[in-house]
Amino acid sequence: MLKRLLYLASAVAIVIGLWGLYDRLTAGHANAAYGSYVVWGFWVAMYLFFVGIAAGAFVLATLEYVFDVALFKGTGRLALYLTLVTLGAGLLHIWFDLGHLERIWKVYLQGSPSSVMTQIVWGYTIFGLLALAALVLTFRPAQQKLLKPLMALGLPLALYLSGAVGALMGVQAARAFWHVGLFPVQFPFFSLASGIAVMLGALGLFGDPKNARLPQQLWTLAVASIVLQIVKLYFLWADFSQSLYGGVPQNIAAVNQVMFGQYGWAFWILQIGIGSLLPIVVLLTPGMARRPQVAGWMGVCILVGFAVARANIVFPALTVPELDALMTAFQDPRLQFAYFPSLTEWALSAGIIGLAIAAFLVGYDRLPIAREASTL
Amino acid sequence: MHAVTSSATLPRFCLPNFKEEEGMPVTTQELVSFIVAGAPVGTPEDPLLTMQEDLQRALKKQVKDRRWVMALDLRKCVGCSACTIACIVENKLPPGVVYRPVMEEEIGTYPNVTRRFVPRPCMQCDNPPCVPVCPVSATYKRADGVVEVNYDQCIGCRYCVTACPYGARTFDFGEKYTSGAPTQAGIIVGRARVEVYETAAGYEYGRAWERQGQESPIGNVRKCHFCLHRLNAGMLPACVTTCIGRATYFGDANDPDALIGDLIGSANVTRLKEELGTQPKVFYLL
Repeated sequence: MLKRLLYLASAVAIVIGLWGLYDRLTAGHANAAYGSYVVWGFWVAMYLFFVGIAAGAFVLATLEYVFDVALFKGTGRLALYLTLVTLGAGLLHIWFDLGHLERIWKVYLQGSPSSVMTQIVWGYTIFGLLALAALVLTFRPAQQKLLKPLMALGLPLALYLSGAVGALMGVQAARAFWHVGLFPVQFPFFSLASGIAVMLGALGLFGDPKNARLPQQLWTLAVASIVLQIVKLYFLWADFSQSLYGGVPQNIAAVNQVMFGQYGWAFWILQIGIGSLLPIVVLLTPGMARRPQVAGWMGVCILVGFAVARANIVFPALTVPELDALMTAFQDPRLQFAYFPSLTEWALSAGIIGLAIAAFLVGYDRLPIAREASTL
Repeated sequence: MHAVTSSATLPRFCLPNFKEEEGMPVTTQELVSFIVAGAPVGTPEDPLLTMQEDLQRALKKQVKDRRWVMALDLRKCVGCSACTIACIVENKLPPGVVYRPVMEEEIGTYPNVTRRFVPRPCMQCDNPPCVPVCPVSATYKRADGVVEVNYDQCIGCRYCVTACPYGARTFDFGEKYTSGAPTQAGIIVGRARVEVYETAAGYEYGRAWERQGQESPIGNVRKCHFCLHRLNAGMLPACVTTCIGRATYFGDANDPDALIGDLIGSANVTRLKEELGTQPKVFYLL
């Protein structure tokens, strides 16, 4: 039933996305709501969200293919497939965010190595190819011996890329909210937590109930999720409390924006309430974590929380003017410090997410992605 | 010593105890002359003429030997925004793209309140944070210190926009002022007529940039470049020549005889966000 609903929802989302794609290709960025002050919008937030999941899911795949953890035997292929699907969704988001889509080749052939963005683009390309190669190898028993070194190579790359995404913003001294050493440190934790959440969702909602290992797998993932959610809340506390105590006006303004600004409701309800506290409480309740449906939906809740968290990292820092008087210096809709995604942004994102869900479902149903897991 | 006007040299005919003296404007013609020249009648020359001479001298040098610098006298700026408009006209800037807004700052609380106007061009930092972040080296510092954007190279990722501590970079969304404007055959206004202006080529970086489809500079990040195309043609930046109060100065800081050198060497100079170590080449005179 759930699968049918998801197939339907993804089909509808893809149709909506096609309209968004048409609008993006014909009108460029004219119908996007971001401007020159809040210059990165929803697509950038979704990029951060999805590539975070990809790196985290890859780390989970190493449990089977590098560390030979018996409990997770049979989940590696699913984790690798999720890596590729979410990586694709992330990269599509950021590609459509470029002013000139057709010039993406320049990053590869004329890239500047000193730019963190170049490093990330190169890194994710290598990472994607590596994950693809690893997935292919899982289907070729004769070449299995190549799988372990390949995955072992991918593990530090996944962690590096997670940190680099934090550094993408962290290196910018112009934005006090981003320019903290904590950024590249906390992103790998976020990625790992996202990867665990997506596996919790996938195994919980679609895992084979006959699989004897499933309850234990879900319980282990749930415990890891709880720990990482507490770590996430600690990072948030450390970040915000230091900013507020520090008293740097730009920092305080950004923190206030997150907690009490335009998206304050999303922070408290979605990011903290549904994304962290609810999963912690539910999964800590005895017996709940072993129930596939409950665990699966908690995984989804954690993902929703992370999606909002990524947006709350991107937008608030940009809604604080670099110079206070810029707010009124020149009036134009593109020179505002408020932002809400436009229909085009929502539509294109819906399409990409629909495509990712459809790819997951088709892979799950038609390809032997999870069969290995279910037969164990 | 160059003749530079400041608030300290307000025309004395404005003052209640003014008595006619030689060289001070009395007739309307003398008053116009005073305003245009920006200096009392009889003083050596308009700073614009001085800067024009300085510019010619600088252009004879090699590019690497020049160091273009701007100074803004906040005591003289009246916040007319003529520089902003001149810049928009000169560079054919579309909606949402602005190189030189004039910020208005109110200092203090009533009744002890004052107002200050702060034009904000690109600071052309010596240590520009926007340069190393660019993934394709589309923005770089030239030998003469001006930070340039290569429109044909820029992929429009806007990373440089987030890196600029001065908000000096804007993104070209491909919009037109005339979008949605009514049009009717035979009338002298309306989209059909005015669009001709909007689609006319701009000449930034010495090349014609026509606004067509999604072609550059649409989809690119844009910024002030000290009107390099004008400089190379022997003209001062548009904001300098348009400033009605002669509050904007420009020149080669490597020229010991240039007017700009006198100004940025004075004690009452500050730069924006010095603490970031960006070493801006735009100076503010207080």
